[in-house]
Amino acid sequence: MSEPANISQAQMTGAQALVKTLEMLEVDTIFGYPGGANLPIYDALRNSKIQHILARHEQGAIHMAEGYARIMGKPGVCLATSGPGVTNLITGLADAYLDSIPLVVITGQIPRALIGTDAFQEVDCINITMPVTKHNELIFEEENVVPSLKAAFYIADSGRKGPVLLDFPKDVLSNKFPHHFDHEVKLRGYNPTVVGNIGQIKKALRLLAKAERPLILFGGGITIAKAEQEFLQFIRTTKIPVVRTLMGTGVIADNDPYYIGLIGTHGNSIANRVVQRDADVVMAIGTRLGNRSVIKSHLFAKNAKVIHIDIDPAEIGKSVTIDIPIVGDIKVTLQTMNERVSKRPLGHEEPWITNNYQERTTMLPTKDAASVMEDIFVELSKIDIPLHVSTDVGRHQMWANHHCTNPKHLPLLTSGGLGTMGFGLPAAIGAWFAGQDTPVVCLSGDGSFMMTLQEFSVAVEHKVPLTVIILNDFRLGMIRELQDAQYGSRHTVHDLHRCTNFPKLAEAMGGMGYSVKRREQIGPVLREALNNPLPTLIDFDMEKLLDSIHLSLNPIAS
Amino acid sequence: MKARQVISLEVEDKPGVLSRISTLFSRRGYNVDSLTVGHTHQPGISRFTIVVQGDERTLEQIRKQSQKLIHVLTTTHLEKESSVMREFALVKLEYNEDTSQQINELVDLYGARMLDSTDGALIVEFSGTERKIDLVFEELKELPVLESIRTGKLGMKIGK
Repeated sequence: MSEPANISQAQMTGAQALVKTLEMLEVDTIFGYPGGANLPIYDALRNSKIQHILARHEQGAIHMAEGYARIMGKPGVCLATSGPGVTNLITGLADAYLDSIPLVVITGQIPRALIGTDAFQEVDCINITMPVTKHNELIFEEENVVPSLKAAFYIADSGRKGPVLLDFPKDVLSNKFPHHFDHEVKLRGYNPTVVGNIGQIKKALRLLAKAERPLILFGGGITIAKAEQEFLQFIRTTKIPVVRTLMGTGVIADNDPYYIGLIGTHGNSIANRVVQRDADVVMAIGTRLGNRSVIKSHLFAKNAKVIHIDIDPAEIGKSVTIDIPIVGDIKVTLQTMNERVSKRPLGHEEPWITNNYQERTTMLPTKDAASVMEDIFVELSKIDIPLHVSTDVGRHQMWANHHCTNPKHLPLLTSGGLGTMGFGLPAAIGAWFAGQDTPVVCLSGDGSFMMTLQEFSVAVEHKVPLTVIILNDFRLGMIRELQDAQYGSRHTVHDLHRCTNFPKLAEAMGGMGYSVKRREQIGPVLREALNNPLPTLIDFDMEKLLDSIHLSLNPIAS
Repeated sequence: MKARQVISLEVEDKPGVLSRISTLFSRRGYNVDSLTVGHTHQPGISRFTIVVQGDERTLEQIRKQSQKLIHVLTTTHLEKESSVMREFALVKLEYNEDTSQQINELVDLYGARMLDSTDGALIVEFSGTERKIDLVFEELKELPVLESIRTGKLGMKIGK
């Protein structure tokens, strides 16, 4: 890129300076939606190499940015306008905040002179978004446009990652100003700890060496820190078995001898048992030990000493009492641990418990849609090509977490902390724009899909190799499950009826739709849909499929 | 054990910083007894003194969560033995022949200052430990108080 000599001080609009800064930060894709207050940015984007993906709703745009960020391992960028543009972002901000996804969210605001007057499309963006962002700022001075934007990327992508929002009044974007571009990011109050305290690391290793039944519990932090290799090296050297949380997919193979299972309310009983009862030392890595994972904090690892490694000091000791806290970047900390154990092994000859894959994965045949879901996910896992797979929220999400086991399809993009129905489709689309030419699959239910289905149109527009898999039970399956378990099977409001013809809907939006009603069609239709260059949607009729499975299991019928 | 704890936050004096602190405290359910904020001798730096109810764990969380705010520079737990704390109060009293003697005695006893007297309303300034101000307010129950305000605690760690 050739640049004028005096580039560090050029008269340009705030919007031009903003776009130029994004280019300097090597942003290639923005997901957004225009409106009156952010139009100056769209005007400046006309002459930029940055690709803008027009979502069909701001929530779609921000979930796309999340999907993009998860695959790229760098901040996703999202652009919205003032007022309803901002309020439509809240779900995505909260989702990214809870799942530590780095985002830089840029919003237009009404001109400075009108702020506080309840002007058209004005909301108090900063105060509304404060509790769901890692940091946010109203850019009230032209001179802050560039430095604040650089700082936003640094904050979003360092320490515990998360969403940062900047709110730009329209006149700050439109006014010409001699913007500088050579600032260095300096933040007095923000210095994330990277290197874990060596004394604590030594203490932790001594404790693990003395343990008879040491266990490692890990979460999504391993993937976020890009520490998969260091992690596997550590457990293989030290012979320590592992369990994971919902967010810890794709780190270790499902049939790996060291892998014991998934913990939490929807986990494997064996995995919950080893962490709650059997282990005498538990080392938690990259997990905030949330209530869905530990279930009851006073019972968590009740026979064990607990070591906790996390980048965020506030997560350590928040809900569970920790014996040895280690604050630091997981990759760096595990590197240090690996160096030390290579010189001074912990002395465990073999893992005290190994993967009982057969017992863990064999389900009793049930007359329930769950067995159909399992079939579908097992068939999908047999398709041995790289895929980025997202899920929505509900029963299918939990079953996918157990049964989507092909490492080429992992980690699953899933909304863990917030449990956002409607996350799956836009997240899958965003993952495609992260490049790498990998087709994308969204696992969804008839409930979740309806929340953001308009984004299918984006996939059609950009010819995204997307396959939406709808596990259609014509109801809100998890609501029904909860009403069965906790409300004496008093079913209310869970029924979605057979109102919507999803394949026709996909076709009306320019894609291709399939309907699957028989078990033997599952694999072939999955393969055909994935080969179709159009965005595709497969409507799996869970009731009909369940009937067909029972027929095929019945020796008389066959 | 739940107890009253005093935390001092050194913050960058940026727009919305009060909102950030108060949003964090209400969002996480921390009970605030009092909160004072003001500038320091350093340009651009303000200091909060916040009195909260909580046990050790809550206090630890408050410090860690506050420290996560980009504009918070330092958090300090002000413990009784190793810090000084003061509170201020302004009290407006009906000042007439019947009350003057009692008010004068109170002012002398607590080393207060009379700041203004207009239309028979006297404004008095008290300062001291929280306990002292508590005692003042006990005594004020006997007097015709028109208006009153306490600042909440200001605190500082002793030594360098």
